[in-house]
Amino acid sequence: MDQFFQQLVNGLTLGSLYALIAVGYTVVYGIVQLINFAHGEVFMIGAFGALSTYLLFFDGQTGVWILPIMIVGAIIASVVTAVAMERVAYRPLRNAPRLAPLITAIGISVFLQELVRVFYDRIPFADFPSAKQRIPFPQLDGVSGKAVEVGDVTIQRSAIFTVAALVVCAILLWYFINRTKLGRGMLAVSQDPDTARLMGINVDRIIVVAFALGAVLAAVAGVSQGLQNNNIDFKMGFIAGLKAFTAAVLGGIGNIQGAVFGGLVLGVVESMATQYVPGQFGGGTWKDVWAFVLLILVLVFRPQGLLGARVVDRA
Amino acid sequence: MSIPTLPDAFVEKHAAKGWPVGLAGVALVIIGTFMSWSFDPNILGDLSVYGYPGGLQILAIILSLLALVLLLTVKGPLASRLGQWLDAALGLRALGLWLLIYMVGVILAIATDSSGLVNVDPGGWISFVGAVLVFAGSQVIPLRELRDLGRARLPGWFEIAAVAVVMAGVLFGAAYALAREDAWSFVLVLVFAGGTVAAMFRTGTMGWFGHVATRRRKVLTLAAFAVAFFFPFTQQGSDANMSIATSVLIFAATAIGLNIVVGLAGLLDLGYIAFLGAGAYVASSLSRSAFATIDWHPPFLVIVLLGGCVSATLGLIIGTPTLRVSGDYLAIVTLGFGEIFRFSMFNLDGNNGPNLTNGPNGIPGIPELAVGGFNFGDEHVVAGITLGRFSNYYFLLLLLMAFVILVFTRLNNSRIGRGWVAIREDEKAAEAMGVNVFGLKLLAFAVGAFLAGLAGTIKAHQDGATSPDQYIFLESAFLLAAIVLGGMGTIAGVLLGATILKLLPEKLRFFSEYRLLLFGLTLVLMMRFRPEGLVANKRRLLEFHEEDEKLATAVESELVEEAK
Repeated sequence: MDQFFQQLVNGLTLGSLYALIAVGYTVVYGIVQLINFAHGEVFMIGAFGALSTYLLFFDGQTGVWILPIMIVGAIIASVVTAVAMERVAYRPLRNAPRLAPLITAIGISVFLQELVRVFYDRIPFADFPSAKQRIPFPQLDGVSGKAVEVGDVTIQRSAIFTVAALVVCAILLWYFINRTKLGRGMLAVSQDPDTARLMGINVDRIIVVAFALGAVLAAVAGVSQGLQNNNIDFKMGFIAGLKAFTAAVLGGIGNIQGAVFGGLVLGVVESMATQYVPGQFGGGTWKDVWAFVLLILVLVFRPQGLLGARVVDRA
Repeated sequence: MSIPTLPDAFVEKHAAKGWPVGLAGVALVIIGTFMSWSFDPNILGDLSVYGYPGGLQILAIILSLLALVLLLTVKGPLASRLGQWLDAALGLRALGLWLLIYMVGVILAIATDSSGLVNVDPGGWISFVGAVLVFAGSQVIPLRELRDLGRARLPGWFEIAAVAVVMAGVLFGAAYALAREDAWSFVLVLVFAGGTVAAMFRTGTMGWFGHVATRRRKVLTLAAFAVAFFFPFTQQGSDANMSIATSVLIFAATAIGLNIVVGLAGLLDLGYIAFLGAGAYVASSLSRSAFATIDWHPPFLVIVLLGGCVSATLGLIIGTPTLRVSGDYLAIVTLGFGEIFRFSMFNLDGNNGPNLTNGPNGIPGIPELAVGGFNFGDEHVVAGITLGRFSNYYFLLLLLMAFVILVFTRLNNSRIGRGWVAIREDEKAAEAMGVNVFGLKLLAFAVGAFLAGLAGTIKAHQDGATSPDQYIFLESAFLLAAIVLGGMGTIAGVLLGATILKLLPEKLRFFSEYRLLLFGLTLVLMMRFRPEGLVANKRRLLEFHEEDEKLATAVESELVEEAK
């Protein structure tokens, strides 16, 4: 039974990470009906933004007060990437056939990965390591180091940070969407863009805000991932993005609570599969396969997701 | 794409000067080519000889002679005969631009490969000034209204001869370009080819050739296969280029299979590389490799069919969700299947499941194909020319290619193909018209997968090893890119796209570091500026430019003419 709780904790940690990224997919989809395939790369660039901030200003220090500044660095990097992506690549294609934005997204994804891989150590006025191998992520007091033991369950400090980050972000997100003018504008646009425009909402601006909002959460997720794995690399966005998309679909794409819920469910299912799928098909090596099987089953049998999507007949 | 032009008032004022300036430019370019371009004889072949042109200088002469022909069409002896058909002014503008790019490329190549601009000899500068003059002159030559070259009727022998000449040009050009060893020379040959093609497009010759090609499709297909067949004989037994050519063929055959699914039926498949992988794994597990996991070695023909059938079965499995999901969701489902395939091949190593694929190490040491005593590893000498190992596989793949193209065109022009197009355009309307939507979608997946499986079985033997990391998502993206780049639903486009995507990275080793970067950028730019691809299918063209009324009438009249 203690194994169960251990896996539950692992699952919730993993799930919090998925949830943070999944919100980005869901927010953008809810407003422009676009699967932003390159969102995983926004997450990756967030992690690199945090690392760069650390290397530029605090190299060698370990105080926990650095963490908020790293997060701000991550957010800046992610938001700039996401907004530029929307402006340069997606906006001109807004009325194009469905295939075009999807292929563009694949292009952006490959482009951003390679940009980081090739040019990270060539950024002028900074002495960054080459991104061709994994780069160690800074370890700070308080959020890394000795794990916390609760009974028989081991909880990594970075896991506590991740879950806490999700809780804080979820509360802020709820406040932003329901209590601010911009947030309510987003709700309006996702319900009916044309009417929203007639009511005086600047739809273009709302779309940019949606991309930026997703990027903020992805940046936080990028920092969490770095703390958890102790290292980051240019490929980390692909699988994480795919899993997060699965989470978004699982919860019902376009539905923000759904994305958080779907992320947690996916994380727990993955962890439990590692522990409880019997025989040779269990264990860590097959967990990605089970995640994708879950994705396909959900898409085929319940495309509106567990909580139901705001936009049902989208495919 | 529109090229910016000078304001009309300026063009009118200087219109009279365009022709003599252009003529002077042509003369200067040709004079320059008879002199030395480069001080260092080791750059771009040897361009340091005075007295006669060599190598890349001849290409500059050809470009400027083309410009001369067009100049004489504007005003001069050719004006009366060709003037009313050829759009010489636009053609000249294109030629002038590309000639300038060519000369800038030459000078850049010399400057970067040696110690700087000092190594450019007077001849190079003279030709450069000539190119500038041709470019400047062409900009002020006024445009005219012309008769549609598509309506020109020429004798039948002339049309067939034109097809033969173009095809021979393609063969000769490909052999010449591939023989360039250094990257700069290769790029310059590409610029030359680009200039010729651009000039053909702008003058309307390409449009005319397109009409001829539709009228004489059989001649064109035969000529294309003859060119492909003779290609190994131009390589003098060199394996380097033949290995590129075989990988292009495998890639293209797979891409045409994918084109059935994506281009015809409009079902986006992001995990297509799994089908190629399935074929390859079938062939390698049944091969006589020491690492093969199944102790049964049927003849190769059986393996090929088995590989195709296993792939097609997988295709059917992946196709079943299409009953319920479509569009973006289908793309994600197929992507998921592709990843599941790769992870499974990675995991089935005996520790995590039955030993079928030897896990991450894959199955190395697959022996050469041997069909009826003919071993594909042996060299053969035909008419004094050595044909190596890759040439053998090349001919086999050519056979496969012919089969794949046959399947594609026959299906495309049948009820099934029309059904696919109908589903792509509007699924609900198609269903209302009595098209069996689900059945046809499944068929598209099965046929596409079958063709990829066939290619996979040959690929396993040609590579000599099969491992999971050959079948990653990026490869699927590459296949898709070949189709998008070339033009969806067309064969010529996919062949072009596959060649570009496989050939350029091999030849331009110096930018292998930036290969994927440019790949991503190209996808984004293509979708933004030319979503229908380089060789556009007419229906597709309309789909991407729905508001363009003029285009709609043009395409409609062409389709009607074709039907006649």
